[in-house]
Amino acid sequence: MFKKLLVANRGEIAIRIMRSAQELGIKTVAVYEETDKTSMHIMRADEAVCIGSGPRRDYLNIERIIQAAQRTHAEAIHPGYGFLAENPHFSKQCTEAGLVFVGPPPQVIIDMGSKVIARRVMTEAGIPSIPGTSVLPPGEEGQRIATGFAEKHRFPIMVKAVAGGGGRGIRTAQNMGELEKFVQIGRSEAQMAFGNGDVYLEKGLTNPRHIEVQVLADGHGNVIHLGTRNCSIQRRHQKMIEIAPAFLPEELTEEICQTAVRAARACNYLSAGTVEFLLDPNDNYYFLEVNTRIQVEHTVTEMITGIDIVREQLFVAAGSPLSVTQDDVTFRGAAIELRITAEDPKCNFMPDPGLIEIYQSPGGHGTRIDGAVYQGYEIPRYYDSMLSKLTVYGFTWKEAVDRLRRSLDSFLIAGVKTTIPYYKQIVTDPDFINMDFDTSYIETHPRLLDYQEEVPPLGKLASLVAEINAYGYNPYA
Amino acid sequence: MAERQRVSPQMRTAEILDFLRNAPGVFLTNNERDLSQSDFMCRIMPQTTLKVAPYRDATGYFAFEIFGGATVHMDLMKKQVNPFEKLRLVRKAMPNTLIQGLCRGKNLFGYRPYPDNVVEMTVRLLSKYIDVWRMYDFLNYIPNLVVAANAVKEAGKLLMPCICFSTGSEHTDDYYAKKVEEVLSLLGENIILCIKNHSALGSPARIASLVCAIRKRFPELLLCYHGHNTDGNDLARLVAAVQEGVKIVEVSDHGYGGIYSQAPALTAIQNLNDYGFKTPGLSIPPILDASDILQRERRLYEAFTGPFHGFDPTVKRHKLPGGALSLAMEQAEKAGLLERTHDLLNEVIEVRKELGNIWVVTPGSQILWSTAMSNVLNGRYEKPSDDLKRLLLGRYGPFPFYDPPEWILKKVLESGRTDGKSWREILIEEGGLQDIADEDLKARRLLLESKLKRPATNEELCLYVQFPRDALDFIQFEERFGQTWLLPPEVWFHKGGFADGARISFADEAGKTHNIDLISTRKTADGVQTSFLVDYHFQSYKTKKGSE
Repeated sequence: MFKKLLVANRGEIAIRIMRSAQELGIKTVAVYEETDKTSMHIMRADEAVCIGSGPRRDYLNIERIIQAAQRTHAEAIHPGYGFLAENPHFSKQCTEAGLVFVGPPPQVIIDMGSKVIARRVMTEAGIPSIPGTSVLPPGEEGQRIATGFAEKHRFPIMVKAVAGGGGRGIRTAQNMGELEKFVQIGRSEAQMAFGNGDVYLEKGLTNPRHIEVQVLADGHGNVIHLGTRNCSIQRRHQKMIEIAPAFLPEELTEEICQTAVRAARACNYLSAGTVEFLLDPNDNYYFLEVNTRIQVEHTVTEMITGIDIVREQLFVAAGSPLSVTQDDVTFRGAAIELRITAEDPKCNFMPDPGLIEIYQSPGGHGTRIDGAVYQGYEIPRYYDSMLSKLTVYGFTWKEAVDRLRRSLDSFLIAGVKTTIPYYKQIVTDPDFINMDFDTSYIETHPRLLDYQEEVPPLGKLASLVAEINAYGYNPYA
Repeated sequence: MAERQRVSPQMRTAEILDFLRNAPGVFLTNNERDLSQSDFMCRIMPQTTLKVAPYRDATGYFAFEIFGGATVHMDLMKKQVNPFEKLRLVRKAMPNTLIQGLCRGKNLFGYRPYPDNVVEMTVRLLSKYIDVWRMYDFLNYIPNLVVAANAVKEAGKLLMPCICFSTGSEHTDDYYAKKVEEVLSLLGENIILCIKNHSALGSPARIASLVCAIRKRFPELLLCYHGHNTDGNDLARLVAAVQEGVKIVEVSDHGYGGIYSQAPALTAIQNLNDYGFKTPGLSIPPILDASDILQRERRLYEAFTGPFHGFDPTVKRHKLPGGALSLAMEQAEKAGLLERTHDLLNEVIEVRKELGNIWVVTPGSQILWSTAMSNVLNGRYEKPSDDLKRLLLGRYGPFPFYDPPEWILKKVLESGRTDGKSWREILIEEGGLQDIADEDLKARRLLLESKLKRPATNEELCLYVQFPRDALDFIQFEERFGQTWLLPPEVWFHKGGFADGARISFADEAGKTHNIDLISTRKTADGVQTSFLVDYHFQSYKTKKGSE
């Protein structure tokens, strides 16, 4: 096992990775941009390197990160999620610089990063995919193919950027007019956003469920799955709440999990990855994509299997076999994870950076916090607005929901607006409690926004004491 | 089962009246509302009331008066307490004692008559908490009580109409007995009649004679004696009243110390017992416990006592009740007239005689006092107030005994008129009680909600229609600062800044302790930065200069 690991990320995932490394006795190196110098991941690391003035440039600067690793004599680099995690050049250059990249090899990232190649690989392996086109040729030809596809498969039709992902670069057309328009807009947007204007079409499913399977693969030919997750509760294709297991019928679960293992084998997968599927109301499932990184929601799988996914990644990266076999993997209870962000749900989830005046997180049995902030921390406006990831475990679904409600109730964050009050609405919503949700949940439940802003009552009283103190008398008495 | 010794809020009105008629002995009502108003300018804070509530509840008083009079408006203005919230808290803390409130008939808790639908809504909403409604009209004009009294009956609560008592040649036993007759005929017989001796007037013999006269004509009528110990003689008066058949007397806690409010409960009980009257259901130890606490608490309110302490036998002449007197003295002090107190009080006496020898009680006391002040400052009746004009126009009701002399009517009613009308024409055309159109409550609600930018509760609307500006200010204050009644009174009335390291410790309504620790105060160019540990969490607040 290597002795020192550089974590090429920030926030909660950097800290989460460092925890597993430190448990294995591996020293950790944090990197940071000048604009992020008060970030908590720096404090949790054994060493830290400033890689530039930022913002958001240097975390993407492969050269500087590799230099930082070399300077600190780190032997391996973990990319976390986001930033460079799914950039094949990063994986490649790490390897070329003699550093171990904790993740799959470049070719896997390239193949799975291209929706079109990924679809082809999966189709060849006999894995069901949503009907779709290959990259649309430009001009008339592209429009002709699009029209033909729409006539055959009917609307809705999704226009997707080849280089997109994580919900970005997707538009849904409901008719021919929209289709023609979205192909055009999609191309120019994709060009701007990803530097690649290629788009393709996919048949849209109506209110599908988003199901994914966590897989682990080592360099010794072992590929196992850690069961399913349901990530249907999404806002604009961004996941908000993730659940494990997906609570599908037993046979279906087994079939989907085995399919995911086959998919991982088909693309020569290594390390931890996720195979995503869409499930239609008739329980037909379609391959969606493979995520070649550790995911935000991996914690729910850890809760119900007891397996530390990052620890396994580190074993695999060090050339060891997985520490568990498929037979070792058992599932118990239910877990729910949600992302607490500094956003104002009432204001279209607009980020609300600022000073965290009070931060008190819940604890107790079955409550896991992957936090990235502390009291007195000024949230920089340059990065994502995640404050903390809350994961709860329950022996049953009901217990998990109860625990989630209790944990949200005992979260106290003041100074910035957060998504906590919105989640509190969700945990008391009968549809959620009855597990009756699909990807349309957020848009079909607008009443979730009908909550009162909570200001800690004592904070209000203290502000009056401050006035009495400032004036030398109570101006309201 | 042991025989019932005391009334309870669970009893129906008829049961309470029945119990009182048949129970031997006399009952006591603790009137903190009047004490707070008479002696401490209405400033007793809910925290003090709640601190002693368990003891008062255990004492076995007939009722506890905590609501009404001037306190409603003062709760909103100077204590930033929702009067409904205060009632809710007291109700919760004193589940075994009747809660009593005082209202000024059509004038409710203000100084001018309100529309009938406002009176009805107010009584209805407050009756959720108030068990006994004591009500009076300052001109003893009983029709002014009818709307509120009917609303009390409608709510199934106990009605206690008052006759305001005073002294002088017109204030005969016969006059008052006739007033009682009027009360019974207009408001019904299922009542307790209260003799309201707000100015601590009359000797024990005078009170005995009055009670005797009433009892002679209405032997079945239950009577309550509400007196003040301003002159130090109310203990004798209340014993005299009980000897003649009064069933309930009003008292206070000795821990507050006697100023102008009610006589101390403990002494009253000792006297009554010695005179052979039982006080069933009363327990002495909690009275001692309550006063042990109040003796310490009262020091927090020292700043709100009037400039003169001690008994005032001269109240017989000027007749200003405690609350009015302390406010009057405060105004006189502000106007630099404190050394002319004697002249001012003499002028009050003159004005009262000129204005029909009416009762010196709100809003009459304010009109008489402000007229006297104005007369001393500006010349007699040279600058009449609008309220004085309204009084002379008969807008509050007719003068009970005689009208003011013509020269005053002329001076007051013709003052400021540009239409050249004589006072006689004015009286004929504009005089008398006027019908007040019902309030458009829907429109008022919309207006309030537009200001609050949220739905308003019925209770908020109720406060808003009575005190539009002050209620709105209060609601907005509460939204900004929360339930500030939780803060200890010494913090609410704090003078000067807080020292670094000062700790403010208090319990919330659920009984959980909270701490606000002051870390530092930093003066900056544009204000003051105060930093705290609020329940051990750092918080910093900037108060800008001139932001008040």
